[in-house]
Amino acid sequence: MNENNKILKVENLTKMFGSKKLLAREMLKKGLSKNEVLKKTGVTVAVDNVSFEVRQGEIFVLIGLSGSGKSTVIRCLNMLQPPTSGKIYFEGDNIKNYSAKQLREFRRNKVSMVFQNFGLMSHRDVLSNAAYGLEIKGVSKKEREEKAMEIISMVGLSGWEGQSVLNLSGGMRQRVGIARALINNPDVLLMDEPFSALDPLVRREMQFELLSIQEKLNKTIVFITHDIDEAFKLGNNVAIMQDGKIIQTATPEEMMSNPSNSYVKEFTNSADKTHVYSVKNIMITPSCLAHSRNGAKNALKQMYDNGFSSVFVVGDKLRFVGILTLERALAVRNGELSFNDAVYTDVPTTQLETPVSDLIPIAAKSAFPIAVVDNDNRLKGLVTKAAVLASLS
Amino acid sequence: MHKLLTVFPEDIYIDIKAPIDKFINFMLQNWSPFFEAVSKSLQLFLNAIGSAVNAIPWWLLIIAVFFASYKVSKKISTSILYSALLFFIGVIGLFDMMYATLAIIIASVIISLLIGLPSGIVMSASKKISIFAVPVLDTMQTMPSFVYLIPAVMLLGLGNVPAVIATTIYALPPVIRLTSHGIRQVDVEVVEAAKAFGSTKMQILFKVQIPQALPTIMAGVNQTIMMAISMVVTCSMIGATGLGSEVIKGINRLESGRGFAAGIAIVIVAIILDRLTQGVFKKNE
Amino acid sequence: MLICVAALLISSGCTQQSEKIIFGDVGWDSMKFHNAVAMYIAETAYDLETEEISGSTPVTYGALKKGDIHLYMETWTDNIPAYSGDVQSGELIELGVNYDDNIQGLYVPRYVVEGDPSRGIEPLAPDLKMVEDLKNYKDVFTDPEDASKGRIYGSISGWEIDEIMRKKVEYYGLDEFYNYIDPGSDAALSASIAGAYEKGEPIVAYYWEPTWITGKYDLLLLEDAPYEESLYRQGKCECPSVRLTVCANPQFVKDNPEFVEFLSKYSTSSELTSKALMYINENNAEYADAAKWFLVEYDNLLDEWLPSDKAELVRGELLK
Repeated sequence: MNENNKILKVENLTKMFGSKKLLAREMLKKGLSKNEVLKKTGVTVAVDNVSFEVRQGEIFVLIGLSGSGKSTVIRCLNMLQPPTSGKIYFEGDNIKNYSAKQLREFRRNKVSMVFQNFGLMSHRDVLSNAAYGLEIKGVSKKEREEKAMEIISMVGLSGWEGQSVLNLSGGMRQRVGIARALINNPDVLLMDEPFSALDPLVRREMQFELLSIQEKLNKTIVFITHDIDEAFKLGNNVAIMQDGKIIQTATPEEMMSNPSNSYVKEFTNSADKTHVYSVKNIMITPSCLAHSRNGAKNALKQMYDNGFSSVFVVGDKLRFVGILTLERALAVRNGELSFNDAVYTDVPTTQLETPVSDLIPIAAKSAFPIAVVDNDNRLKGLVTKAAVLASLS
Repeated sequence: MHKLLTVFPEDIYIDIKAPIDKFINFMLQNWSPFFEAVSKSLQLFLNAIGSAVNAIPWWLLIIAVFFASYKVSKKISTSILYSALLFFIGVIGLFDMMYATLAIIIASVIISLLIGLPSGIVMSASKKISIFAVPVLDTMQTMPSFVYLIPAVMLLGLGNVPAVIATTIYALPPVIRLTSHGIRQVDVEVVEAAKAFGSTKMQILFKVQIPQALPTIMAGVNQTIMMAISMVVTCSMIGATGLGSEVIKGINRLESGRGFAAGIAIVIVAIILDRLTQGVFKKNE
Repeated sequence: MLICVAALLISSGCTQQSEKIIFGDVGWDSMKFHNAVAMYIAETAYDLETEEISGSTPVTYGALKKGDIHLYMETWTDNIPAYSGDVQSGELIELGVNYDDNIQGLYVPRYVVEGDPSRGIEPLAPDLKMVEDLKNYKDVFTDPEDASKGRIYGSISGWEIDEIMRKKVEYYGLDEFYNYIDPGSDAALSASIAGAYEKGEPIVAYYWEPTWITGKYDLLLLEDAPYEESLYRQGKCECPSVRLTVCANPQFVKDNPEFVEFLSKYSTSSELTSKALMYINENNAEYADAAKWFLVEYDNLLDEWLPSDKAELVRGELLK
């Protein structure tokens, strides 16, 4: 991911609805609130001086409650809503300056959109819905249907292409929506609450699906949601909106650990933190370790000194071997077992970047703390069951 | 004081009758070439429709209704019923009259659709136009038709041409209203989606809005046909031929039987046309 | 309060029903005018309440026999096939003849024959005089729906004269050259004549006098063979004048002997009626106003129709 490659850049974007926009702008400059402006001028300020940047290949999430202006922002990005003021750069071009024809070409080739309620045409079947973007460009029927079949199979709808979209479930409909958005091979995908209308189970499945598509195609995605879990799960960067303004733009972790104000804090507190926290956030350094070469006696001493009933056993270069319990250590000392037989090697391990949410099932089953190792199986730390539980709250 | 409360004050009076009379006289004296041209071209159109309708032999029409109603209802009993009803019109001696009536209905409906569909589209696109158009449509539907039938006779002469115009005035509003309504009702997101993929206005209209609105538009077409049928008798009061004039004759001569026979034939025509067109738009849904 | 009003309405409704004299109105001007004259006299001389009910001839005629309508001031006896039978059987009582010097037949605008230089109209059918002559002029009176023939605007179907006119067209062999069109309603027929006249176009149509149309527009009656009773029904001669009678429901006649005496004396003429209709058309007058104007203008009629004390009552009222 190239840090400098900013594919989208939004500067001071403002969008108002109403006729007395000039007057409203003056009032905003004087520091009047949105409500006051609405009362005095009848102008609704939907988006108020918003700036952000989206890097090539990232998922940029805009999150906010309904009415916060997020849907208006995303509609400005393809000019479905022309901005009242401000600049929107796509690969360096201010798209506000596009002629009608340029704008059409931009929409046909560079950017596409996925809608909350799918926005599918009920009079068409899956195939011709998916092929719509090519159809209006004048691509031949044969070619566009071939391409559509390819995309349909990528989103997992093979065999459904002849069905009316009315016969599909919500999740399947949105797969059609995504297929339609991908068919033009756009650089940017605008997704306006694409999964909000779906059941929680289906939503999780679609999030996973999106991530795997993203892995394959590496598109730039601007994603709108009101669900903080979704935002943190998908977003490389998250911008939180309130009353038409962006309050904070940050990575999920940053936002969790360093909320810019109480509103963000409240918002992030409601999040399921296990998605945000990875193992490295909650692991601790083990205070006692036993080297396999030092034998059972040393291990018993470590346990005794630190007041534990078990100890992690490491080999050379801190490579993780397993766990030795007090019971087994005593058995070795008494000559009933060899050291190597006594160490439990079949214990769960995890890695630094694993989300805590993935640990929950492991922690539930395991009798011991979970070892954190790197790719070379070197021990980095441990996660206690208590820490996993704490991250859930 | 007392009188003012009970009787509307006579002093407040504006004469709107005289200006209207003057306007109609003005049209009569100055625009008659225009109206003649309208009348002539409508006559040509009507003649074409008339000869097209008359070219269909009675048995072919009955067979066509049989198959069309089977296609729509998928029930053999329904198609037998409809073709039997049509046959019955022949049995009571009114088949030719029905053809004359059908020609007027078909001509009026075609004109209504030619005007109504584009008008509905325009109306759906502009709130301003629709604010202006709605009361006009209301007037067209509620103004007693004889009020404009008589000037129409003065301008266009007697017979089937003014009948077609009067029928069109009455039958036009539903198709305009429902076309506009249907297009407005199309899911905003679907239209947004079409826009977001770079459709031109025409592409949005023809690939998205109209197909999506089609069930509603077809309901409008159905209503327009029904309205056209309901004008059959009124039109015969200005000399339109067909079943309507049979009804009028029945009334004028106090021949209830004659009136009922023609009335029943009109009902049968209405039922068949209604079911067939309804079937078409239900299939589209 | 509401109950009181309702009760009042009901009671007044009841009394109205029994006392009001209900005149039939089948839609044409002359009848409305005669109704207005008789209504004025009923109210001023006999202190009776009156009402006019409008409808088509068949509807009102049925109502007249039933007693829902009490009288016709102008009964076009020839146009109601059942009339003579109903009078004979006593279902209706003929009180007198209003007038019987009216005309009906085929008319053309005068300019068709004579031209009208002031409107720049050439005479298109200079030798058109008789109904028979129409044969030569089918191209003047072209049927817009059938260019190969001319068009005769006929009588309204259901009127007795309609059958006679159809026979006439056949008798003179005009059916070969003309389509005889049923105008559907008398409003449509008048509109056709008025429209053609205002545009200065040729038209040949069945019509009758007295009417405001014949008063307002200069129409020429096409001549026909002299009237002979045996030939008339076959359409072979001119139409006789129709006896336009005053007729009433028998029960009404029994209940209102005084007023009925006036009705049986009521008599005018085609000319007088035409004058009144022209007065209405030229002044845009209401029928009631025309009735007053008429009774002042033809004051002597009051003496013919009414006993002297009643006549004076009317005069007194007219002076107010």
